[in-house]
Amino acid sequence: MSSIQLENIRKSYAGGPEVLHGVSMDIRAGEFVVIVGPSGCGKSTLLRLVAGLETCVEGNILIGDKRVNALPPQDRDIAMIFQNYALYPHMSVRQNIAFGLELRGIPRAERNARAEDVARTLKLEAYLDRKPGALSGGQRQRVAMGRALARDSSIFLMDEPLSNLDNALRVTMRTEIKELHTQLGATVVYVTHDQTEALSLADRVAVMKDGNLLQFDTPSAIYDRPANRFVAGFLGMPAMNFIPIETLPHWPGRSGLTVGLRPENMRLHTSEPEGQAFAGKVLLSEMTGSELILHCDTELGRLIVTTPRRDIAAGQTSIWVGLDTDRALFFDNGSERRVDL
Amino acid sequence: MKPDETRPGNRILTWLALAGGLLFLFPALYSIFMSFQTVDAYYTGTLDFTLENYQLAIGQFHFARYLFNSLIVSGTVTVMGLAFATMAAFAFARFRFAGGNLLFAAVVATLMIPSHISLIPNYLSLARVGLLDTYAGLILPAISNGFAAFFLRQYIRGIPVALDEAAYMDGATPLQVLWRVIVPIARPAIFSMGLFIFISEWNSYIWPLVAVGDEDLYTLQVGLARLYKVNPGEDVVNWPLVMAASTITILPILLGFIFVERHLVRGITMGAVK
Ligand SMILES: Nc1ncnc2c1ncn2[C@@H]1O[C@H](COP(=O)(O)OP(=O)(O)O)[C@@H](O)[C@H]1O
Ligand SMILES: [Mg+2]
Repeated sequence: MSSIQLENIRKSYAGGPEVLHGVSMDIRAGEFVVIVGPSGCGKSTLLRLVAGLETCVEGNILIGDKRVNALPPQDRDIAMIFQNYALYPHMSVRQNIAFGLELRGIPRAERNARAEDVARTLKLEAYLDRKPGALSGGQRQRVAMGRALARDSSIFLMDEPLSNLDNALRVTMRTEIKELHTQLGATVVYVTHDQTEALSLADRVAVMKDGNLLQFDTPSAIYDRPANRFVAGFLGMPAMNFIPIETLPHWPGRSGLTVGLRPENMRLHTSEPEGQAFAGKVLLSEMTGSELILHCDTELGRLIVTTPRRDIAAGQTSIWVGLDTDRALFFDNGSERRVDL
Repeated sequence: MKPDETRPGNRILTWLALAGGLLFLFPALYSIFMSFQTVDAYYTGTLDFTLENYQLAIGQFHFARYLFNSLIVSGTVTVMGLAFATMAAFAFARFRFAGGNLLFAAVVATLMIPSHISLIPNYLSLARVGLLDTYAGLILPAISNGFAAFFLRQYIRGIPVALDEAAYMDGATPLQVLWRVIVPIARPAIFSMGLFIFISEWNSYIWPLVAVGDEDLYTLQVGLARLYKVNPGEDVVNWPLVMAASTITILPILLGFIFVERHLVRGITMGAVK
């Protein structure tokens, strides 16, 4: 098992602007870390720096306790799963999985046994002699996982490994990856732009934006105490509602703040309740199963509210929204940081 | 989909293509046919089947030896030329290094220099190092092939870099990436290029003519050209003999093509990346 330490990493591509502006991260051995952020924020770049596929001018990368900045990828003993899988098209599934072992001089019988073992874990036994071209997307993804697993590395890097799969498969694979991590106990750094994946998989989530690390903490800490307005809005589905505090009479706090309230922290009323509530109309309702996501036009502006399905009759459009003051977060309009009142 | 043979337009096209093919085939077939006729039959316009032209070409004019020389020279040039071109192409396609672009421009520039311009400098260099009249002298000037390097570089650039990266992550060194990943995937391109190099070298005439004076080192083309001045006492060229020698010359190329053709399959990168 290996820890990974990133110290003040700065990176720019040849002739381009800086894409990582001093990222520091301390990843413990055996931890499952998910790096999440919008497309283009530098997640892949960061991962490729750890892999050794890119080099950086400034900062230190330590694996275990060893500085690896100048170590080429083949000497880092890291397994990586690529977004587009990057399977060797001229090799069978068996050869794809065993290639890393072959390069390490493991005898054929032994590496084939290992490949078959891995294939069994991933339910690929039936396809061992096929070429990648004759596999479905989901099967290719499994081969890519198998190739990484066969190696027995202590570090796994995964760059959006599930983003090319359909939704059902994605959810299944997510569970399997999590289980594999528990079994292997390896350190995993997993990149995604999907906040659901981040929250469900991670021991700790690193949220990035525009080449900066905004917050690095457990999923619940990030969800409950986001460092700033961006993190608050990026994680959580449906997204947090933001309401200028000036529109809320009798609220604590000061002007120049924005109130953040998650859709599940708003109470929906079908008749005018006692106490403070804001009248509105349902513009759109989306069913997620047991719950409804209601897009409402209210006195406070556009709000998104989730509510159990039984709480509102189909077709009812006029509603009142009550706010859960205790759960409200406050963000400074200038710095966008979360402030404690 | 197969073209629909019942449509009149398609049928006409088929016949046109056939006619075109025969047009190209005719001289070759005619010369092979003539190589089995006696000289007298050839000049009197009668038919007289014989194998003596082949006996003459191989026995008296050493075409077996020339064939051997041509195979050695063209074979070595092809193998070495491909090896160098592939490595250069890999480097130019995948690595950024100081002066890389300039170097590549230099490679491309060599494509624009007619080979006859380098004839005399090459001759003088090889004379100085004493390699005239050797196999090395025939082979060395041909093994750096700018066109092959250029062509293969373009092809390798079309192979997703992620495959290289996956191999590096699997623990491969750059040479292993080249040999185990790039070369197998680029095989159709490499084989086409090999065929191309082999044929151009097989057909090359001027350089073997000037680089070699020793008849034991003649290649087929040089030997073939000499047949035009045989029998100084007579005033006619022994065309059936020339045709027999020509047949000996083109046969290996045909066989080579048949061997290589099945490797020219495309579409092998399918399924590599999503
Ligand atoms: N090879 C490259 N050359 C130049 N710029 C690049 C390269 N790869 C990525 N970038 C730039 O770096 C930034 C971060 O990219 P990336 O790390 O791929 O983001 P993400 O994975 O978060 O979507 C983007 O602005 C992208 O355009
Ligand atoms: Mg990316």
